[in-house]
Amino acid sequence: MLDQDLLNRLLMRALRHGGDFADVFCERRRSYAFRLQDGKIHEGSSAITQGVGIRVVLGESAGYAYSDDLSIDALMRAADAASLVARTLPSGDEMTIALKDVDVPRLYDEERQSHAPASQYVALLSRADVTARKYDPRITSVNAQITDELQDVWIASSDGRFVHDHRPMVTLGVQAVATSNRERGSGYVGDGGRTSIVFYETSTPETLASDAARIATTNLEAIPAPAGEMEMVVGSGGGGVLLHEAVGHGLESDFNRRGTSLYSGRVGERVASELVTIYDDGDIPDARGSVAVDDEGVPGQHKVLVENGVLRGYMQDTLNARLMGAQPTGSGRRQSFRFLPQPRMCNTYMPDGTSSVDEIIASTKRGLYAKSFAGGQVEISKGDFVFMVAEGYLIEDGKVTRPVKNATIVGNGPDVMTKVTAVGNDSRLSRGHYTCGKGGQHVPVGVGMPTVKIASVTVGGTQND
Amino acid sequence: MTEREAMEIAGEAVTAAKQAGASEAEATLSQARRFHVEARDKTISKLEQSTGATLHVRLFLDGRRVTVSTSDLTRESVQRALNAAVEQAREVAPDPLATLPDTCSRFEGDLRLFDSAIAQRDDALKVDDVLALEKMIRDADARVVNSSGSHYNDASSVNALANSSGFSAAYTATRASLSSAPVAQHDGVKRTGHYGTAGRFLRDLESASEVSRVAARRAVELFGARKPETARLPVIFERDVAAAVLDDLFSAVNAGNVAIGNSWLAGRLGERIGSDLVTIVDDGTLPEKLGSSPFDGEGVATRRTPVFERGTLRSFLFDTYYARKLGEQSTGNSNGGGIGPNNLYLEPGTQTLDELIAATPRGVIVLDTIGFATEHATGNYSRGARGFMIENGELSYPIDEFTVAGNFADMLAAMDAVANDLRFDSAVVSPSFRIAEMTISGS
Repeated sequence: MLDQDLLNRLLMRALRHGGDFADVFCERRRSYAFRLQDGKIHEGSSAITQGVGIRVVLGESAGYAYSDDLSIDALMRAADAASLVARTLPSGDEMTIALKDVDVPRLYDEERQSHAPASQYVALLSRADVTARKYDPRITSVNAQITDELQDVWIASSDGRFVHDHRPMVTLGVQAVATSNRERGSGYVGDGGRTSIVFYETSTPETLASDAARIATTNLEAIPAPAGEMEMVVGSGGGGVLLHEAVGHGLESDFNRRGTSLYSGRVGERVASELVTIYDDGDIPDARGSVAVDDEGVPGQHKVLVENGVLRGYMQDTLNARLMGAQPTGSGRRQSFRFLPQPRMCNTYMPDGTSSVDEIIASTKRGLYAKSFAGGQVEISKGDFVFMVAEGYLIEDGKVTRPVKNATIVGNGPDVMTKVTAVGNDSRLSRGHYTCGKGGQHVPVGVGMPTVKIASVTVGGTQND
Repeated sequence: MTEREAMEIAGEAVTAAKQAGASEAEATLSQARRFHVEARDKTISKLEQSTGATLHVRLFLDGRRVTVSTSDLTRESVQRALNAAVEQAREVAPDPLATLPDTCSRFEGDLRLFDSAIAQRDDALKVDDVLALEKMIRDADARVVNSSGSHYNDASSVNALANSSGFSAAYTATRASLSSAPVAQHDGVKRTGHYGTAGRFLRDLESASEVSRVAARRAVELFGARKPETARLPVIFERDVAAAVLDDLFSAVNAGNVAIGNSWLAGRLGERIGSDLVTIVDDGTLPEKLGSSPFDGEGVATRRTPVFERGTLRSFLFDTYYARKLGEQSTGNSNGGGIGPNNLYLEPGTQTLDELIAATPRGVIVLDTIGFATEHATGNYSRGARGFMIENGELSYPIDEFTVAGNFADMLAAMDAVANDLRFDSAVVSPSFRIAEMTISGS
């Protein structure tokens, strides 16, 4: 987007008052989307997000400025604004930077430069609509949307690295609402990844729509969730939301460097049941949370966060790794050029254990079977979390019985992780399109898990017995 | 950028959209200059300042609707995007209701949205503010040993809208905020408190000492919290949490959700749903408030809309499209892409929060919630929560790791007390209120 000579000048300008490190993040993102409502294509949309963010790091301080005006004057002004964080220092030595292209691992199986013909997106939405409506006459409303995005980033760093990454992303989501008398139930199912709409030949709109319709009609018949403490079986795939909230955020290096996380300074300590192993992988081909390189130009990689219950390491961005004497782990991510990078998760999951799903269910006397989740949230310093069940059932005497609606699970991350009593042998990355919010920035992530049993959680329903 | 310059860019985009083949077009240009400083202890940890603009264009081709949004304002790029949008529109179903508003205008009163004291404020003073906050939170309580940061943010923006019916208007606005997140430690447990203040005028911000006092109190007050027993109890939602409840309720009065059946209030206009205390108003014309503006995202003048009056559902909140769809008038709630609140608030009562607590023999006060599980189609509400148990009209002991749950229809009907502590620090705000009975789920 900008030539290397200009990038060089911007880096030197940004560091003219000094600083340990500077980078220039250039982004051009094009998205293309359609929305279906009332059985018709309701709206089309497109968006271009283009600009440059310039950062100067000095110790634990970061100066930042962005510009969507790509004129040299505007970019130089941004470099000046970013440099102000180091203003109090005496002027440093004149430095020279020689930018060198760094190869990026090939992680996304395509190099396309534009979206497909419009009719192909519309056809996918229509197939979803028809399937959901046919599923059950009580389905009264279907909404669906599809988005195809291509993001190019170019990152030039004062250590001489120049990196370009070309990142595709498709998402398709279907919401079905079922109505019967005055009862309503809704179901939402989506899927996507860093690929093209060819993806939906495998994860078909028919499957997504019939699953959304099934959840909506199931919720129509669901009884209110119980309230109080009980056993919980977390379903494979989407159950990974539990790892993301209960453990993952607490292992991001900014909280740990600052000492605000309950996991600060605890590498090597036992933090979970020995059945618990947690990875965060940035390098799974085509996965939604993957990055060939992160937004600081560091390759996405496999990270062991927790191994057999022992805390092994944090997710590091460049700034915090430098201050903690660690290596960056390809975890520096940002929502767009308008934001400073933060240490973030990629695809967080638990590998296979040894129990079968049948064994896990059969061993549960009275509990909640949380098959999929609508999202969650955590408070970092103490580790309290919630997550919301999208599809849940009661387990009574070892059998899955009635569907329940409106279940929220509340707990404390480290506490819950010591209560993991069985890990299934059916680990998989979840279908879905999860987005993680932190400090006002949203980035795509993935989650995964085998079926897992937790001895006791608090279920926040309304039925008190 | 001046208002005139912004209106010119928007006007050029409308012309370009027409040339590309749109039968009607509307363009919004928003430019903002933003400043953010974060301090931790004695260090400035983040210093950000930037200027950015986004152009948002809606094109209508005989009822086929497409939108384009871009931060690349070069003429060639905008024209290319608009030409592509016209292509894209061919796949959109024609909808006779999808046109520009019949009447565009601006609210004529003086809304006073721009504070030159913010626009011209010396950066050094902003930095001083956050460094002072960091010191004050530590001075406030010995258990405050760390912080997730103290922040000052401000922004000056220009917003212009032009459309092919000949409407063209703009306004400038400012906003500033000051907040802190102290981390306290006690008996090996860490807790974070959050508190902040925001407004369109610098003089409306609470002082750094007030912000630090409340933030530090929030960080320490829940030490020793235990999990409450599962029970049905009266629940007081403290002001900031009450505002989040109202934000949830907004989704149910959003006419877009009502039209697609994704609202528990669909089909219930005119019904009495809440108690006498439930009077909820959306008003975009309150001077100096954060949710105010002279016109909405499609150039319809903002106004005052009673949503609930003494418990009765009076109106949903509409943009032009969904107003036509449901046979109503726009309430000036378009936010460009969908429907958004202006200043949405619950009418305050007369008693203080302390009086409300004193009038609660046994119950729970919720000071913070996490999660976002409201099923708008059914109105089922459930949140992770922290707060205090109330016994004999007094805060008795802190509680956490529980959920508070109920159904919105039952909650509104059971609202039996509203405090007088409303403050307009956001677009959606509420005084503290009490719900006569909800499910507390703990041990």
